[in-house]
Amino acid sequence: MVKPEPAAPLLELRQITVAGRDRPRLEALDLRICSGERVALLGASGAGKSTLLAVANGSLPADAGQVLWQGLPPARSARQRRRQLARIGTLWQDMRLIEELSVQQNLNAARLAQWGWPRALLNLLLPLETAACAEALRQMELDPALLPQPVTALSGGQRQRLAMARLLRQQPSLLLADEPLASLDPRLATQLLALLLRQAQAPRALLLSLHRPDLLVGFDRVIGLRQGRLLFDCAAAAVDGACLRDLYGAEAAPP
Amino acid sequence: MRPAPPLLLLLPALVLLPLLLALPGLVHGGGWDLIAEFAGAAFTPSLDPVVLQSLLAGLWVTVAMALLGWGTSLFGGLLLGLASSRTVWRTLVGQELPAAVIRRLLAVPRSIHELLWGLLLLQLVGLQPAVAVLAIAIPYAALVARVVSDLLDALPTANLEALRASGAPAPAALLTALGPPLLPGVLSYGGYRLECALRSATLLGVFGLGGLGTELKLTLQSLEFHELWSGLWFLLVVMLLLEAGVGLLRRRWTMPRRFALHQAGVGRRGREMLLALLALLPLLLAVGWALGVDPVALGHWQPLPGLGSGRWQAVLSLPWLQLVGGTLVLTALATGLAVGLAPLQLLLAAPWPWLRRLVACGWVLARLWPPPLTLLLLLFVLKPGLITAALALGLHNLGILGRLLRESLDDQSPAVQEALVAAGSGPRLALFYGGLSGVARSYLAYGAYRSDVMLRETVVVGLAGAVGLGSQMLESLSSFAWDQLAALLVVYALLTLVGEDLSDRLRRRLLRQA
Repeated sequence: MVKPEPAAPLLELRQITVAGRDRPRLEALDLRICSGERVALLGASGAGKSTLLAVANGSLPADAGQVLWQGLPPARSARQRRRQLARIGTLWQDMRLIEELSVQQNLNAARLAQWGWPRALLNLLLPLETAACAEALRQMELDPALLPQPVTALSGGQRQRLAMARLLRQQPSLLLADEPLASLDPRLATQLLALLLRQAQAPRALLLSLHRPDLLVGFDRVIGLRQGRLLFDCAAAAVDGACLRDLYGAEAAPP
Repeated sequence: MRPAPPLLLLLPALVLLPLLLALPGLVHGGGWDLIAEFAGAAFTPSLDPVVLQSLLAGLWVTVAMALLGWGTSLFGGLLLGLASSRTVWRTLVGQELPAAVIRRLLAVPRSIHELLWGLLLLQLVGLQPAVAVLAIAIPYAALVARVVSDLLDALPTANLEALRASGAPAPAALLTALGPPLLPGVLSYGGYRLECALRSATLLGVFGLGGLGTELKLTLQSLEFHELWSGLWFLLVVMLLLEAGVGLLRRRWTMPRRFALHQAGVGRRGREMLLALLALLPLLLAVGWALGVDPVALGHWQPLPGLGSGRWQAVLSLPWLQLVGGTLVLTALATGLAVGLAPLQLLLAAPWPWLRRLVACGWVLARLWPPPLTLLLLLFVLKPGLITAALALGLHNLGILGRLLRESLDDQSPAVQEALVAAGSGPRLALFYGGLSGVARSYLAYGAYRSDVMLRETVVVGLAGAVGLGSQMLESLSSFAWDQLAALLVVYALLTLVGEDLSDRLRRRLLRQA
């Protein structure tokens, strides 16, 4: 197996294009994210934020261009590709918890990439790796007593934290998050964002799409996406009103 | 330590272990060349016009019998369903007791498999097309009646009471308040029964009641595999057309309005259904006339020889415990095989789309073939007995359960599976955790219902030698031992009624937890 280069960026997109119905959903997009970076992804609805994240986590193949994970293209062998994917954790907008399973079983589902069938089957029968699961919950400020509960018994805020705890349980080096704060009230959104940012320190990196320019504090870089193209890529402090008007303003009046 | 849903789904497959262990001992050595010849003939069916003509004639008879039996059972079942509905009796006469009585009585025709009805009627009135039609219509009508009355009594009655309170007469209030919400369920179930009727008509043919089934069995017994396959391909085309047509109508008529792309006119759906029902009547009459169904001939009963001679000693000396035990073991093995193998096959095939399609094709063939024909094929290489019979019964039902599992997986959002794949888990584990979790309970609930069907169907594989009540019944029937047969029928009916009750409880429990 080829070892990933330690110095290589965790994610590198080169000239990525994804075709769409009327115009490309992404067009000739370049992006590098290195270890320790916390990057916010801004853009109006339909600007291509979700598409970009889907290309980054390997669930959507690009029509043109190259994706590199830790300096390596997606592996040809299924086994090695899965090993690459296991290093990338995604926090989905709809959370994608398995409703029929308990909290602990859901947390352990993040380990399926490493586990073979025996442990995958045992997980459905017995509580496995309870200490690690409890630790993941604690990091997200959830009570470990929730472990045996069914997921359906959790509140909306608890579910969001559980999804994040599952992300930690996967032990990824690159964290991707698709508008994780969209359906939360302002207080909860700030809290969760702080938790997520705390987890995303070197050697990890974070790419998080969001709708709210007021929550950029704590990010190192901000990327603006408009109609599938990169509009700006700058330090968080450099984002000002003019940038945001460019990003959102023109979208309101169709060309 | 309660197994979680996806694991629950694999538990029935544990039955495969004893089956696989027993299988080597069952192989009797010869016959593999016959199986190979049979498989090869699939691609070279006979194109001889004489053969094709006779097969097409048989196909027409089978389809006509299925259509007539189904139509009769639908009309009869609707009426009986109304007659056994608590809501209807309460609204009309203010008394629920008659509903309960009629419901109990209907359990008897329901508990006896259509094959037994067919063979009994055959003895009573001799061979004529109406025998197969009636054999299908009697148990099916009782089944439809049960579903209709269950659906009716589960409907909320607030609308009905409001109409009654405003002075509407009882029949009009019933029709207005309960008719529209009842229709989609009845249509959906009715379509499913038509598919069942085609399978039943083929099966009855295998036992000599005419149509394609008879031709299939004769060609198989004379080892004319090429002609057999011509017939199977015909049957396959008809079955797939039927399944597609029923699915189309179901989607057109039962799709909730808000999903429809364009707003149809008010009452369009109702008008279409009514027209279809009205068109069905003359169609059924025409088919009946062309098939030569003669209601008068049904009146000429032959006296049953030997009944009343009362050799009850001989009846008592039957090995009852063994017979009932054999029937139960056969049902359990076949159920485990059918319920457990479908998810296992999907898991094994998960990484390769082509293999998934191949598995689905296998399921089509499995539900197409009547179990006794599968049994005859298996007997080329296996010794007769309980396990061989369970294989034949289980494989047939696997085709039906597999289709259901695939459809409910397709209806489910793939989001969770995609998330698991994106986090690096393999396609099999992603399907297991992300896909099968969601469908496990409803699939097992259907499996519980299907086990009840399989208990009734054990008679169909009775040809395999001493394997329970079914084979003893076929034997008693052919030796005109009517007293034995009567006792066997009573025991069998009791057993299926108990089985129905148990599977109902299991099903309700599974669905309540969902």
